[in-house]
Amino acid sequence: MTAALLALADSRLPAGGHTHSGGVEQAIVAGLVHDPRSLEVFLRRRLVTSGAVAAGAAAAAAREGGGAPADRRAGWARIDAETDARTPSPALRRASRQQGRGLVRVGRRAWPAAVWDDLPDRPHHPLALGVAAVAAGLGPDDAARAAAYLAVTGPATAAQRLLAMDPITVATVTARLGDEVDRVAAATSTTSTGISSRTPPGTSPGTSTGVSTGTTDGDGRDPDWLPADTDPLLDLLAEVHADRGDRYFAS
Amino acid sequence: MPPDHLLDDYVDPYDDPAARGRRHGPLRVGLGGPVGSGKTALAAALCRTLGAELDLAVVTNDIYTTEDADFLRRHAVLPDDRIEAVQTGCCPHTAIRDDITANLDAVELLEARHPGLELVLVESGGDNLTASFSYGLVDVQVFVVDVAGGDKVPRKGGPGVTASDLLVVNKTDLAPLVGADLDVMRRDAAAVRGGKPTLLISLREDPAATEVAAWVRQQLRSRAAQHA
Amino acid sequence: MRTLVEVVARPGPGGRTVLPVVRASGQLAVRRTGPTTVHLVATAFGPLGGDDAEVRLVVEAGARLIVRTVAAAVVLPARGESPPSLQRIRAEVAGVLDVRPEPTVVTAGAHHRAVLHAQLTEDAELTATEQVQLGRSGEQPGRWTGTTRIERAGVPLLHTTVGLGPGAAAWLPPVAPQAYASTVHLGSTAGRATGDDAVRLPLDRGWVATAWGERLTPTLARLALLGQPAPVEEALS
Ligand SMILES: Nc1nc2c(ncn2[C@@H]2O[C@H](COP(=O)(O)OP(=O)(O)O)[C@@H](O)[C@H]2O)c(=O)[nH]1
Ligand SMILES: [Mg+2]
Repeated sequence: MTAALLALADSRLPAGGHTHSGGVEQAIVAGLVHDPRSLEVFLRRRLVTSGAVAAGAAAAAAREGGGAPADRRAGWARIDAETDARTPSPALRRASRQQGRGLVRVGRRAWPAAVWDDLPDRPHHPLALGVAAVAAGLGPDDAARAAAYLAVTGPATAAQRLLAMDPITVATVTARLGDEVDRVAAATSTTSTGISSRTPPGTSPGTSTGVSTGTTDGDGRDPDWLPADTDPLLDLLAEVHADRGDRYFAS
Repeated sequence: MPPDHLLDDYVDPYDDPAARGRRHGPLRVGLGGPVGSGKTALAAALCRTLGAELDLAVVTNDIYTTEDADFLRRHAVLPDDRIEAVQTGCCPHTAIRDDITANLDAVELLEARHPGLELVLVESGGDNLTASFSYGLVDVQVFVVDVAGGDKVPRKGGPGVTASDLLVVNKTDLAPLVGADLDVMRRDAAAVRGGKPTLLISLREDPAATEVAAWVRQQLRSRAAQHA
Repeated sequence: MRTLVEVVARPGPGGRTVLPVVRASGQLAVRRTGPTTVHLVATAFGPLGGDDAEVRLVVEAGARLIVRTVAAAVVLPARGESPPSLQRIRAEVAGVLDVRPEPTVVTAGAHHRAVLHAQLTEDAELTATEQVQLGRSGEQPGRWTGTTRIERAGVPLLHTTVGLGPGAAAWLPPVAPQAYASTVHLGSTAGRATGDDAVRLPLDRGWVATAWGERLTPTLARLALLGQPAPVEEALS
């Protein structure tokens, strides 16, 4: 189903992505992005942080697609909440949910399927991507790849427009990040369910069993946890951008 | 046979509930045309003239600032909660034609906020003569040019001039000053528009935009008849 | 080397807090230094690469607990190919918990992983800070990776992983800070705020503030400009 993946990752899919710069507009104002090299650095840091989070959530959402309707509804609601927790910036939450809604709008018609009805209202974009992948007959790996790829191409196009860069140069920058896109997407396949199965704290946390030891990987990370890599710089840029009255992009 | 998932709940994937003329809810009127031709002035005029009789709202597509939205607010032609500004990502053309998501969000937000809404005006960010609205976004579109650009504009054509549902040639008061021949413009427009209407107006002289308002009322009536 | 610290805070008679469990083994000792305060004391140099420390904190409803350290932790690499050192704080909070350790200094060649996983009940309050300096003065930066996960009544409120230092994927000049400070607070609201290399973001009945820079002291000052949580009052005993 490669063609469906290409369609899903196509920047011309009318899902509203073109009105979001992924932080590039503010990064340009802040002097952080001004030429191809600085653009590549910016895209790389975005890819390995919010791109990795998006890829992880999209893959997890796609994995939930096979379940019974009630299960996948619950699963997608959990992934939506997990994505919220990984997106504390109100501006970035807004941008993600706007793009999620846009993708649902086109996805519902382009790949009609009953699964769309199990999505929460205004889902985060990666969650919508995962569900679109399910509807289009794609798998979790494809969903992750599309999410990671879009984390780079949206801002790249925005930079091209804002800085009037040579489009061939920008295409080159994007192509050079291809391996890293694949690596970020592949890393998400190591998380199994994507959701911590740990039970919420009991009503009597004082018992000596109250603290679960859990299992962790070598990094001390719960292997059930979705990627949560974050870049505080992107949060700051997004919030400063949201306060501006004069801007070309919604985020 | 299409794959199974295409058959779930759906009879025909091309059956478009939002297709032109079939959409329920408010009439959506696109206002397109080059920068400075008078789109915002026309939107303000229509709000003033139709505001008393219709439940209406406006979506603006400023390129960089929220100037158009601010103008409408400042001149208090509409309460704040009836004006939505969208960012167009440096590409106002894309936002009304190729990927209308942001504008649909704005329209749907206004519809949700004002359940009785009858008319939504969508003003495009000024673009050149090739800009036109997707009918996924609007039901009808008005293309606004002005005489200041010279009387050759209608002859030059472009989808806005030739295919819009209404062509408005604004600022006729300036015609003598710029040496534009209104008869030439009227004749050229008729030649390329295949019978679709053209109005030559001056918002300076008629701030109520009487003729354009009458055309909008006519659109509302014919759609009501269609849905009846 | 494995280190385990366990502290349980429980409401006692007259609204006081009692600490029925105050236990430590390995490279940390724990001292009760106030009615509701414990200090963690390092009993050896380090942490060293490969060290693994876990701090388990339980604060029952109606109890309060303040956790401090006596000195900055200086993370050193093990000889040869040094694996990361690890410190996990796992907290179950139904009362009020305030964890503000002294800074962590990660020396050249070391990689420290810090994990805070806090599970709160609906009415719990939490304040937790993180202060990091990569490299002692004049030294090359070490590497630090910090994960914070906070849940309230099973709902994730915040889950972030920040990677700093050479080798961290998003630590890329021109924004490659050697100092980092963050405070997360649950229990009262504060709106978003932006500053110089500093940002505060709202959480549901809480907030998280982060600042970064070259040296820790000015970074902490910029973080403070965004606003600070009120100190947890010592309950009178
Ligand atoms: N002389 C004259 N000026 C007009 C007329 N209509 C609009 N204008 C002026 O043209 C300028 C641009 O109008 P505006 O509505 O902002 O254009 P837009 O960019 O298409 O929205 C403003 O200064 C208006 O006052 C008109 O009929 N005659
Ligand atoms: Mg205008």
